[in-house]
Amino acid sequence: MLTLARLPDTLRTLPRDGRDTLFLLAVIAWVLLPQALRLPLWCSAVAGAVLLWRGWLALRARPLPTRLWLVLLLGATVAATYATHGTLLGRDAGVTLLVVLLTLKTLELRARRDAFVIFFLGFFCMLSNFFYSQSLLTAASMVVGLLGLLTALVNAHMPVGKPPLLQSARIAGWMGLLGTPVMVVLFLLFPRMAPLWGVPSDAMTGRSGLSATMEVGTMAKLALDESVAMRVKFDGETPPQRDLYFRGPVLSSFDGRQWQPLRQSLPARYALAADLRVSGERVGYEITLEPTRQPWLFVMEAAAEPPQLSDLRAVMQPDLQWVTHRPITETTRYRAASHAAFRHGPAQPVLGLQEYLDLPPGFNPRTLAFASDIRRDPRYARAGAVELVALAMERLRTGGYAYTLEPGVYGRHTADEFWFDRKQGFCEHIASAFVVLMRALDIPARIVTGYQGGESNPVDGYWIVRQGDAHAWAEVWQAGVGWVRADPTSAVSPGRIGAAQRLELPQGVVAQALGNFSPTLAAQLRGTWEAINNAWSQQILNYTEGRQFNLLKNLGFASPNWLDLSYLLIGAIVLASVAGGGWALWDRLEHDPWLRLLGRARRRLARDGLQSTPASSPRQLAEQALAMRGAQAQPLHDWLTRLESQRYGAKSAAGGVRQLRRQFRQLRWPD
Amino acid sequence: MSFIKARLQKWFESRLPLADSVALTQRTVYILPTRAGMLLALTLAVLLVASINYQLNLGYLLTFLLAGTALAGMYLCHGTLRGLSMNLIAPPAQYAGASAVFDIKLTNARDAVRHGIGLSVLHQREVDPQQAPGRRQWAWTDVPAQGSSIVQVAFRPRARGLHRLPTLMAETRFPLGTFRVWTVWRPAAQVTVYPAPELAPPPLPPGEPRAQGAGASLRAHSAGEFDGVRSYRRGDPVKNVLWKKAAKVSGQVGMEGGGLVVRDSQLAQHQELWLDFKLAGPLDTEQKLSRLCAWVLQAERLGLDYGLRLPALEVSPATGQAHQRRCLEALARC
Repeated sequence: MLTLARLPDTLRTLPRDGRDTLFLLAVIAWVLLPQALRLPLWCSAVAGAVLLWRGWLALRARPLPTRLWLVLLLGATVAATYATHGTLLGRDAGVTLLVVLLTLKTLELRARRDAFVIFFLGFFCMLSNFFYSQSLLTAASMVVGLLGLLTALVNAHMPVGKPPLLQSARIAGWMGLLGTPVMVVLFLLFPRMAPLWGVPSDAMTGRSGLSATMEVGTMAKLALDESVAMRVKFDGETPPQRDLYFRGPVLSSFDGRQWQPLRQSLPARYALAADLRVSGERVGYEITLEPTRQPWLFVMEAAAEPPQLSDLRAVMQPDLQWVTHRPITETTRYRAASHAAFRHGPAQPVLGLQEYLDLPPGFNPRTLAFASDIRRDPRYARAGAVELVALAMERLRTGGYAYTLEPGVYGRHTADEFWFDRKQGFCEHIASAFVVLMRALDIPARIVTGYQGGESNPVDGYWIVRQGDAHAWAEVWQAGVGWVRADPTSAVSPGRIGAAQRLELPQGVVAQALGNFSPTLAAQLRGTWEAINNAWSQQILNYTEGRQFNLLKNLGFASPNWLDLSYLLIGAIVLASVAGGGWALWDRLEHDPWLRLLGRARRRLARDGLQSTPASSPRQLAEQALAMRGAQAQPLHDWLTRLESQRYGAKSAAGGVRQLRRQFRQLRWPD
Repeated sequence: MSFIKARLQKWFESRLPLADSVALTQRTVYILPTRAGMLLALTLAVLLVASINYQLNLGYLLTFLLAGTALAGMYLCHGTLRGLSMNLIAPPAQYAGASAVFDIKLTNARDAVRHGIGLSVLHQREVDPQQAPGRRQWAWTDVPAQGSSIVQVAFRPRARGLHRLPTLMAETRFPLGTFRVWTVWRPAAQVTVYPAPELAPPPLPPGEPRAQGAGASLRAHSAGEFDGVRSYRRGDPVKNVLWKKAAKVSGQVGMEGGGLVVRDSQLAQHQELWLDFKLAGPLDTEQKLSRLCAWVLQAERLGLDYGLRLPALEVSPATGQAHQRRCLEALARC
């Protein structure tokens, strides 16, 4: 029985085949590991089991399973893939199939061709990791994986004996280093193009964030996603947190369950115009937006000028949202300027406002009754938006309402349940119930989604907005003013808005222990880590066509385009070829340092009139010199003798060639 | 098509200089991508398309790093052979039909090890005519930094005569297997190939009466000695058996009389052993030469004086290694 204690010995004495196979399996496991939690459970289990099985076979030098086994396994896993994803095409199904194929192929490692198939499938698996995460950590782990695969490949091409793996690893590392300049040049200069064909729709999944619609009450629990949504660099001081509303999609149509963007029912000429009027101080800033797969550009409320992007154009919607003409599929940076003081929308009542009073029939009867009760109250019979908003806010503040991330699943009448039964929820419930009440009171209202708040990273000064900062608030229409922001969540939970406090989910054990031990150290570590990550995403992940053109501008191109990029790339290739040619010329020269030194000595002697043939040895030369010049040539004679014994004598008799070269330079030549 | 290919190959080979030692340079080392290399190129293309379509900057990095590494691998692969020197160590004479081994010394002047260099005979039918085409016998070696290693290459000379050594090929796929770097080398050295000795030859032919003059001098030289010996025949007196010789040749199979040798006191003085082409039986030329070859070996083993008479050449009787070689060479070139 193979015990764990004896494993190191077993590994050391393993025949070469077994050792190489185990190493390759370990590398494959490393490449697949980051995927393990994302893949369907059965797929991770099958991959792990197959790798372990194959490892055991290698350890015991057992024969591989027959082809029938493979066919059965392959059939079962393909069927399972189809059952899981409903298709064999597309990104996620493709990744699952890739993992299955890669692991099953290890059971068929017979010929050299099989090994190559494994290597190439391994490269694909590495790329598929990047679909889900392009973080620094992923990149680092994939560099290790790449070096591992290359090491295995190099090792497979050393047919003699049992070379140590470390030697192969060194060669692989050296090749990687040699390849790095090529990578840098290609990365900087390879023209960035738009997707060659439509990105499959499932490319949109797998990233959390805001969506185009808002479902109320279906989520029992909101997980605070700690991933970064965007990073903001303010030109001056960071505005107060209560002003940091980053505007996203505006939702105006409600069907009782779901809020959607306005579905215009009136003729288009009645549609409201944005009519934005800004005043006060102008705040300039730069936003680095993580990919959202949506065309939205988040800006602080409210930006009158279009955000400046390198390659995209931004257009303002009538609801004040800025959008581009294609989804943001990569980390994108843009500049914008906002004014905290602004007015928008029609000042006088217009027909278009009717759209913002619609409520679905048959929903929330108690809220409607509550609204008519208020209207029956003489104090509020003719009240405007300001008084009614104040009334609702007062109720939220004093009525025992609570902000929670785990409100449970709501029933059919979401606003009723919030106002009268549960009295708790997160921003979606609060904003939705608030807008329903306002509309019931005949006040035009709508929901605005986006991000609110964020936190500063003290290490690099960036303002970080996380997915957990996603927020929904309301806008009500006020006669004589236009649309006015009303954030009911701030009434329920003043801490949610305006301070850096958020409800925090339980952290991991280590983070918690560190947090208990030293909260500042934990914050410091987190800040540093995020600053590094930010640099990574600013410099690498956000390297776009615009950045390429900026680089070209710095290199002196007046108006760079992709043709210039291509010229530069071709120029780099030509330069490299010329350098290679020069190297080849140099390579033809004598390379043996000893022979080169002898050649130098021979030429020097020829100038002094001592002719020799290529066949004459240093000793012969020495004797010739002594015969021609007598005692004067004694140092030369000694040196030549040392030269000879360095090559042909006992080791270490005359030191290295380098030492001889130095002595040659200092040699006293006979006159 | 294959005919044209064969002609091209022949023309290409005939252009190569004959040399017993070569130093490989850029001009003599060839490089082409292997099938795996093509597969890698395809992989790179797919990775690039995926990076473009999913707009993955990290995917670009991976693709370009892999491409750069493959380029570095191409350079290292070419460098494995470039600058290597190969020296042929002249092989001894061989018998036709037997597998002959000769040594090649690879010398590396560089500071780094050269890994995974394989040597092989270019035309594999010269190694083994039954060899399936496409399968190649390789002798693999690593050449240490500033050192040398010796590789043994086998081939099977088919016909007797003076032959040039087969054209050799040195190849490496190190380090990634995506490129094949090779060189073709025509050694100048020639190897003498003796006829294949007949496996079960008949006994040595009877001696011939000594020519007068030669016999007289020989008799004077060897007076009072028993010079003649022959294989044991049934009925020979036991006291005539040469036990010392028997000990020396015992264990050799296929010999008449179980390898025993007896004194031939009457014949030795008056007769001498001539291995004559004409008397080698009713066979064709090659078979006759094979039989003569076996006889020469047998006679030498028995320590006899023997002469060789070929249609165009006569080697007068003598004994010893030099004499044997002279006879065998005469047979080889006949």
